[in-house]
Formats: sequence, structure tokens, C-alpha cells
Amino acid sequence: MKRISRRLVLGGVGAAVALGTGLKPRGARAAGELTVWWTQGFYKAENDAVIAWMADWEKRNNTKVNLTIMNGPDVITKLIAGMQVGDVPDVVHTVTGDRFLVPRAAWNDQLEDVSDVVDSQKAEFTETALISARLYNAKQKKYSIYGVPTKGSSLMNSVWLPLLEEVGFAATDMPGTQDKFYDFFQTVQDKLRSKGKRIFGLGYSMAAKEADAGNLFHQFLVSYGGVGIVTPDGKLNIDDPAVRQAATTSLERLTTPFKKGYVPPGAINWGDVDNNNAFFARQIVMTPNATISIAAAQMDKPDLYYKEILTRGVPLGNDGKPVASLLAISPTIIPKGSKNVDGAKALLRDFIQPANINAYLKETRARYLPVMASIVKNDPYWTDPKDPHRQVAVDMGLIKPTVPWWMSYNPAYSAVLSEQIWPQAEANITQRNMTPEQATEDAAKRIKQLFEQYQK
Amino acid sequence: MTARRRARTLNSIGVSLLSAVLLVWTLLPIYNIIRVSMQEKEEVLSTSVFPVAPSPHAFSVVFRQAYWLLETFWNQMGNSFFIGIVVALLTLAIGSLTSFTISRMRIRSGWMLTNAALLTYVIPMSFLAIPFYGIMGKYGLTNNPLAVIAVEVTFATPYAIFIFQQYSASIPFELDEAARIDGASPPQIFFRIYLPLMAPALVAIGTYALLLSWNEYLYAFLLLSGGKVITVPVALGKFLVGDEAPWNYLMAAAIIYALPPLIIYYGFRRKMSGGLTMGGVKG
Repeated sequence: MKRISRRLVLGGVGAAVALGTGLKPRGARAAGELTVWWTQGFYKAENDAVIAWMADWEKRNNTKVNLTIMNGPDVITKLIAGMQVGDVPDVVHTVTGDRFLVPRAAWNDQLEDVSDVVDSQKAEFTETALISARLYNAKQKKYSIYGVPTKGSSLMNSVWLPLLEEVGFAATDMPGTQDKFYDFFQTVQDKLRSKGKRIFGLGYSMAAKEADAGNLFHQFLVSYGGVGIVTPDGKLNIDDPAVRQAATTSLERLTTPFKKGYVPPGAINWGDVDNNNAFFARQIVMTPNATISIAAAQMDKPDLYYKEILTRGVPLGNDGKPVASLLAISPTIIPKGSKNVDGAKALLRDFIQPANINAYLKETRARYLPVMASIVKNDPYWTDPKDPHRQVAVDMGLIKPTVPWWMSYNPAYSAVLSEQIWPQAEANITQRNMTPEQATEDAAKRIKQLFEQYQK
Repeated sequence: MTARRRARTLNSIGVSLLSAVLLVWTLLPIYNIIRVSMQEKEEVLSTSVFPVAPSPHAFSVVFRQAYWLLETFWNQMGNSFFIGIVVALLTLAIGSLTSFTISRMRIRSGWMLTNAALLTYVIPMSFLAIPFYGIMGKYGLTNNPLAVIAVEVTFATPYAIFIFQQYSASIPFELDEAARIDGASPPQIFFRIYLPLMAPALVAIGTYALLLSWNEYLYAFLLLSGGKVITVPVALGKFLVGDEAPWNYLMAAAIIYALPPLIIYYGFRRKMSGGLTMGGVKG
């Protein structure tokens, strides 16, 4: 056997290392190829609908679609990582991207302008959808459309009718105005507890994470008159006395029931799914939720869906007047650096045709709303009088007044949501004994700092 | 004497109490995982200490992949195994070869190689996630298990080199000299003398490398996307987004996932403790 010397071994290893570093870097994506990231649905049918539609589009357009379905937060995290290293997919569909990512990415010129895609169906989109999609690009110093509105959602309240009936109430006993509506459930809890049932009347998240706690706070803010916290031209208006009062009242109304024991103690740690679980376990009488997904998850159980679970929209203001719903619009975006922008736009143009997007939204069990009024008008699915939940959602999201989230006015508000400023304020009250006024002042200070970073 | 006996009794009571607290503290989360895995979905958030009607239904669902988020559970388990085994083997190969070169062949300035490798740990793993993602992207390795293997080997090897070096100091150098006199080449010394004597350290480090990659989440999450290539920790993360996070299925899947490393650890535990401690005493 030939003697293997040390020199030979070292030489061989060195050659292997040199070969390894000379590995050919990945070439450009093939022209007929698209990489698509899509947010995972809550139901298998939702994912299957996207997979089937993409497969069909692939065949019709002779363009390979590499579809990856991921959790919502994962999509955003991976996209941010990809943007930082310049390795991005061609199409990204996000659910909470409108709040946590898209406005700041548009500000930093990290997204492709998709005005031409939206223009292809402009007449169909609702005004709120178009306002939400219009974002400011600080590099190009102009507003444009950087996200294709795909679906909408607004706050709903789910209630267990049997728990109301157990203590002598009917669905019609639920008050219709803001304060009385939420106070009602404290009364229900008191009566249930007197029967020995350890159930909480109010089941809302107070955790400084994910979206639920922020969703509820901001709807409360609107309900108490704080809708002008950011003006349409992007100016922060938090020193306006009405806005301050609305913020303070919202914090007070959310934290006082918690301190009095009407909200589960664990709610300070709840993720977005935990209020749903607590509701299904009948540990809470009611829970606010960003969509009608709580009822929709029980669609296969007719007794629950049609009789036992009630859905109520945003209550009227304390003055008896209707309150606008905060309508979140989920955008689909094309990151800058996409290697097939034309293909991505072609896919999106096809996807947002009313018939296609309607078919997809129906697979979400109406958890998400169309952003095109004609879909609701032309398809009786959305206004089926036999469905006790869908009509409420359609009323809230498409028929009654809606307002967009404030990130479309100024991306700084996306940073406010990412930092969970207002849920942190709630924690300051419940955990650190601040008063609502102190917590509001503390939050306002931080919000002002964030807005200073986004001067046009 | 009485005072001493009293002191001993008090000491013993104190130790027992502390042990009991630590035992409960350690076992309670494990009990909770098992409890939740034995409950039905509706019972999961109840405050009952014991399951009302314990059942292995959740385990059955996981085994049969009968829930939509578990449809490719065994495929993902296979991915975790593949990555774990390859990481272990590569770490052992690179670590043992490097430590042999430094400590037995005594290359000049070998200590610099060891120290340079240990510098890897100066920067936390999580800080390097984005740069790694960029590098793997440039090489077209995103969504490829090889990317995760490369990362895990990178972080496991320096420790392996260090431990192997320390351990090999306890192997008499005279054995190498005797073999050389008998005409053995370095590869022959490596395979016939060095490796057999390093067996305890190899088992310990191999297990360490396997467990490191078995539990890896951040890099697996960043570098792998598609359902067919992701590992179990990443797949289980999908449970936490949805209207019905089925905690019982999640806990059952977690228990099943924890079994292989437990079995490996218990199978090799004697050799592991020998391997980890022998390198600690010089000479």
C-alpha cells in the first residue's frame, strides 16, 4: 500500500477546501419560475384552495410556481431576513403584514410598486382598501400602491348563548352600547359564579405580543373618540385632548375588569390563539376576535354554529351612534429584488379578479371579508340569511362605516404596533400599578419618539 | 453528641425539603406535558390536576398523521433524524481528525487552530442567523437540509475539537511512538489506536452534536420552508397559529419527538459520563 504522507493528507484537505469555496453560486431564478410565500390558513381547505389555484395558474401560464405555506408571523420574520440579505421571494401574501411590515417596507423602498395591478380592478375595491394600500415611499418621496388588497377583517365579539341562558339572559338582553355591552358580561360572570361555575365573563387577550390585544385596544380607541390619533396627512395627534381622553378611557376600561377578576389571569400571556381555545373550553363567556373564525371553526357542528355561538359586531358608541370599525386589509406584496416581477404581477392580476378571489375567500369559511363590494352583492353566499355570523361580519366590514388602520397615514404607527406600545401600557397598569393617565403619558412619549423617525 | 445529631437531622430535613422542591419544580412541567397529551381538546385549558378521562387518543392521531398539521409528521421526523445523524458524523469526523492532527501529529502552532475554532462561540448563534441565511441563499442552499447541517456542524465542531484534545491528553503518546516504530502510518495510528481509545469521548460528542441539531429551531426555521424538508420543531410551531391550537396533539407529538434522544442518551449514558469527565483531569 502506498504510504500516505502528512503532506499528501494536508494537500488533499487543502484542495477539498479550495474546491468547496469555489462552489458555483446560485444563478438567477429561471425566467419561467415564481417563488410564492403564502400565510397558512386556519383550515386545511384554505391551504388546499391556494395550492389548487396556484397549480392551475402554473398550468395555464406555463410558469412554475414554488409555493411555500407558512405561519403568519413566520412569513414576516423570514421576509425581513430575506430583505436584509437580498434573497426574497416574488410574491408574499401576509395577514398582519399591513400592520407589522408593509408600511415600513414601502417607506424604505423595499417593495415593488403594484399600482398597475390594483388599477386592473380599481373600480371594484372599497375606499378603505384603496386607502390602506396607498403608502409613502421616503426614497422616492411619493405615495403609491405597494400592497395588493386581498382580504379584510374587523373585530367581532363571540358569545356563548347557553352561558347567558344559564343565568336567565337571552341574546336580546345584550346591550347595544359600548360600556353597557362589556359591563353586561361582568354581571353574567357574577351570576355564574354564584352558581359555583368558575367561568370568566370577559375573555380578551392583554398580552404584549401578537395582534389580539392591540386589535381590541385600537377598536376601543375608535369607539371612545380617538380615531384622529394620526391624521390622514400622517401627523401624530396624540396630544389632542379628545384623543388622550379616548386612550386613557380605553386603557381604564380594559384593565379595570382584569383587576377585578373578570378576565382570566392568564390573559396577560395569551397568544392570538389562546382566547379561542379558552372560548371553546367554555372558560369564558365572550371573546373579541379579529374575524368570525371562532364560529367558523365550528361550522361542522350545526348546534354550535347556528344556535350556541353568537357573533356580535362592534357595539354602538355610548351616545347610541354607530362606531366605525377598524378594517384591517391583508396585502399581497412583491418585494424589491424579486427576480420575476412581471410574472408576479401577472399572477396577482389574475388572483384579484373577483371570481377568483371570491372562490378563495369562501374556502376561508368567510373568516376574511372581500375587499370588493360587488362580490358581496353578486354572491348570495355572503348575505345568506340562514348564516348567523357572516352577515354580521359583512355589515361591519363592508356596509357600515369603516376606517383604515393608521399605518397607511404614517408607517411610524406600524412601529407602534410592532413594539406593542398600548398592550405594554395595559401591563403598566395591571402589573406596575400605573394609573391609566400615567400609562397613556408613557405610551405617548414613546410614540412621539417613533414618529420622529418617520419625517417626510 | 446530641447537638451534632440534631444538626445532622436538621441538615437532612433541609436537604430533603430542598430536594422535594427541586423535584416538583423539575417534574411539574413534564407532568403537565403528559397530562395535556392525555386530555381531549375541550379539557386542555381546564384547571383539573388530573385528566378527567385520560386517553391516548392524541398519540394515536400523531402516529396515524390523522390531523392536517401532522400529515407529514414522520417525514419531518425523518428530516430531523437525517440532519441529526449527519451532523453527529461530520462533527465526529472533523473534530477527531483536527484534534489528532493538533495533539498527536503536533503540527506547529496547533494551539492557534484550537483557539480560532473556539472563537466561534464569541458571537451568539442567533446573531449570525441573518449572515448565514445570506450565505446559504447565495449558494442556493435555502430550503435544503444541507444548510442546516452546515450550520450545526459549524457550531458543534469547535467544542468537539476542544473536548477531544483534552481527552487525548490522557492517552499515552508512547503508544503512537511504538506504533510508528512498528511502521504504522499516521492514518493507521488514527484508525487503529487513536479512535478506539477515544471511544468514550466520541460517544459523548456524537450525542451532544445529535442533540444540538435535534433541538435546533432558529436556523431550521430560517433555512427550511417547505413542508417536506422542515424538521419537527419547526413543524410543531405551525400548531400555534389557528383557531384551535390542539395542545393535546402538540404535547403528544413533542413527547414522541423527545423519545429518540432519550433512548440514545440512556443507551450511551455510561460511556457519555466517562467521555465528558475523563478529559477534565490532566495526566
